[in-house]
Amino acid sequence: MKRPALWLLGVPLLVVVMAAPLARAMIAAHATPRLQVPQGWPAPRYDFAGNPVTAAGFALGRRLFYDPILSRDGSVACGSCHQQFAAFAHLDHRVSHGIGGVNGKRNTPGLFNLAWQPDLMWDGSVHHLEMQPVAPMSNPVEMGGSLALAVDKLRRDARYPELFARAFGSPGVDSQRLLRALAQFTGTLVSADSRYDRYVQGREAFTPQEHEGLDLFRQHCAACHREPLFSDFSYRNNGLDAAPRDAGRAVISGRAEDQGRFRVPSLRNVALTAPYMHDGRYETLEQVLDHYAAGIQPSPTLDPLLAHGVPLTAGEREALLAFLDTLSDENFIHDRRFAETHD
Amino acid sequence: MKRKMNLAARRLAAAWLLLLAGCGHGAAQGGLPLRIEISHVVGDAPLQLGDSYKTAAGDVWSAERLRYYLSNFRLRRADGSWFVNPQSADSSRGYFLVDEADAASKQFQIGPLPAGTYSGIEFLVGVDATRNGAGAQTGTLDPARGMFWTWNTGYIFFQFEGHSPQSSDAEHALTWHVGGGTGAPARSVFLQFQSPVEISAENSAELHLHADLARLFDGAHVLHPATQPTAMDAAASAEVADNSAGLFRIDHVHKLPKAGLAAGL
Ligand code: HEC
Ligand code: HEC
Repeated sequence: MKRPALWLLGVPLLVVVMAAPLARAMIAAHATPRLQVPQGWPAPRYDFAGNPVTAAGFALGRRLFYDPILSRDGSVACGSCHQQFAAFAHLDHRVSHGIGGVNGKRNTPGLFNLAWQPDLMWDGSVHHLEMQPVAPMSNPVEMGGSLALAVDKLRRDARYPELFARAFGSPGVDSQRLLRALAQFTGTLVSADSRYDRYVQGREAFTPQEHEGLDLFRQHCAACHREPLFSDFSYRNNGLDAAPRDAGRAVISGRAEDQGRFRVPSLRNVALTAPYMHDGRYETLEQVLDHYAAGIQPSPTLDPLLAHGVPLTAGEREALLAFLDTLSDENFIHDRRFAETHD
Repeated sequence: MKRKMNLAARRLAAAWLLLLAGCGHGAAQGGLPLRIEISHVVGDAPLQLGDSYKTAAGDVWSAERLRYYLSNFRLRRADGSWFVNPQSADSSRGYFLVDEADAASKQFQIGPLPAGTYSGIEFLVGVDATRNGAGAQTGTLDPARGMFWTWNTGYIFFQFEGHSPQSSDAEHALTWHVGGGTGAPARSVFLQFQSPVEISAENSAELHLHADLARLFDGAHVLHPATQPTAMDAAASAEVADNSAGLFRIDHVHKLPKAGLAAGL
């Protein structure tokens, strides 16, 4: 009677001892983000089935994102323009500021929920998340190099060949692995934990002013900035210029009716991603609301929804601004897994 | 450890698939690969990079660079059915990048083909839409090879760069890049064999294709360097794309014994 009982006591002990490495592996796995589809969201467009996220693959992607080795002269990293505290936009930079201090012509957007975007960039010029890094890497005013150059530098680096082998299970550094590792990082940047999200899930209450702001938003803005991603991913002209200097979507589609149209940007984290619009012309959300209230410029491609602007009373303005503040995801911008200096 | 086992398991599965595919398509039915060799010509003379040539309208041109993709090969059987050359999502098998400056790129094999009688061959000049939008690729489709547009992502299907005194561009450059986009698929080419081609367990064939660059200017469309010195997007290069598909003809086909294939003759 006694002996079997004693023996049995040893079993859980043995299990614990044996399970320790397993538990450690599970914690490590937990530190690697997975693409979880938040409740009520559509299915993602980027399919991780062809590029399964692993701890080593994600860590490699993060390291590459913050490493200026991807630029021609080793001076600019993805993370130089995409800063986590600004939800991966470029704080205070009207347009991008790249290699040799040269300015580009478009504003750096925040990076989050990219796996849901059908196309990328303000004009939708990039059709696949994995192919996006080829654009900044070979842009003379961003990173100034080329994909071939970056692969060559990584192959000759002391650390990277081993990190690539660990991430992909066999030796070899090539552009496909580079692009897939970066996609494991950029594709898992999910921002879905703002006060707005917690309100929608019934986990947190809104103030009456925030409530009013949400109602106004749904009335005037949500047709384009559609919930839950706060964009319908269409290309539209929101009346910035009567004669647009940047043709926008028309460059890609070749169609006159796309002159001055740009992708409707997500408004998640919008209070953190100033300045605003494709050319970063507005520094504050107040200026953006001024634009929608009284600054709409008529043109042949102006979206009909904005033909009469969105005039608001002073109180409504405050309410709308209070609501836009609820879209900031503090947990996302402080998530250590996405940080340059991580755990 | 776990990952290693997964990998081993995946490799085993892949090996099985290959074996099965091999059985179904070629080996069991005694087929052999078909060899294709491409020569770039102007009229009847071999193209020389840097040499000057004249169009029917009297425009003068020279080529410095000529690169293009060929893919999605199919062979038509005498009974009207098709043999579809296998392509794999995991590699660039079946996608060929032809480069005038690289002799090895102008000779390649497709198949193995099941034994049978074939009456013609079809292929795309470029990359099919599915693969064009499929994300990071390797091998001939590696975007680091420079046959890739970053300003509107997708492959450059056909790239011709040269000079013409008639070109109004800086340094009289002539730059024609064809690529895909919505409503601009890769052009398809079908070439009928003059006489049926037999593939058996003992004998394959070598197909000599000529791509006549004179037809790039005097093709379905007549193109003038003066009015069209550059074509760098799908809309502007539509006529170049049409003409690129009209370059190809079968110069001759000859029998290739199995031993010759193995020896790489
Ligand atoms: C010099 C600044 C700069 C650098 C360096 C840079 N980017 Fe960007 N990024 C931008 C700008 C500007 C845009 C918008 C460009 C446009 O729409 O034309 C952008 C857009 C993007 C987008 C598309 C976002 C969207 O919502 O469509 C992604 C993804 C992205 N960058 C990832 C990266 C990665 C990965 C790297 C490193 C390989 C990188 N960026 C390097 C400035 C930069
Ligand atoms: C007709 C569609 C449409 C409507 C309605 C609309 N927007 Fe926009 N919004 C856009 C487009 C398109 C852009 C990008 C324009 C550009 O940069 O050229 C944009 C940009 C913005 C930006 C800048 C975001 C950034 O990251 O740069 C903010 C903020 C914004 N809108 C807020 C609002 C608010 C608030 C409302 C309601 C009062 C609203 N929008 C109504 C289409 C719309």
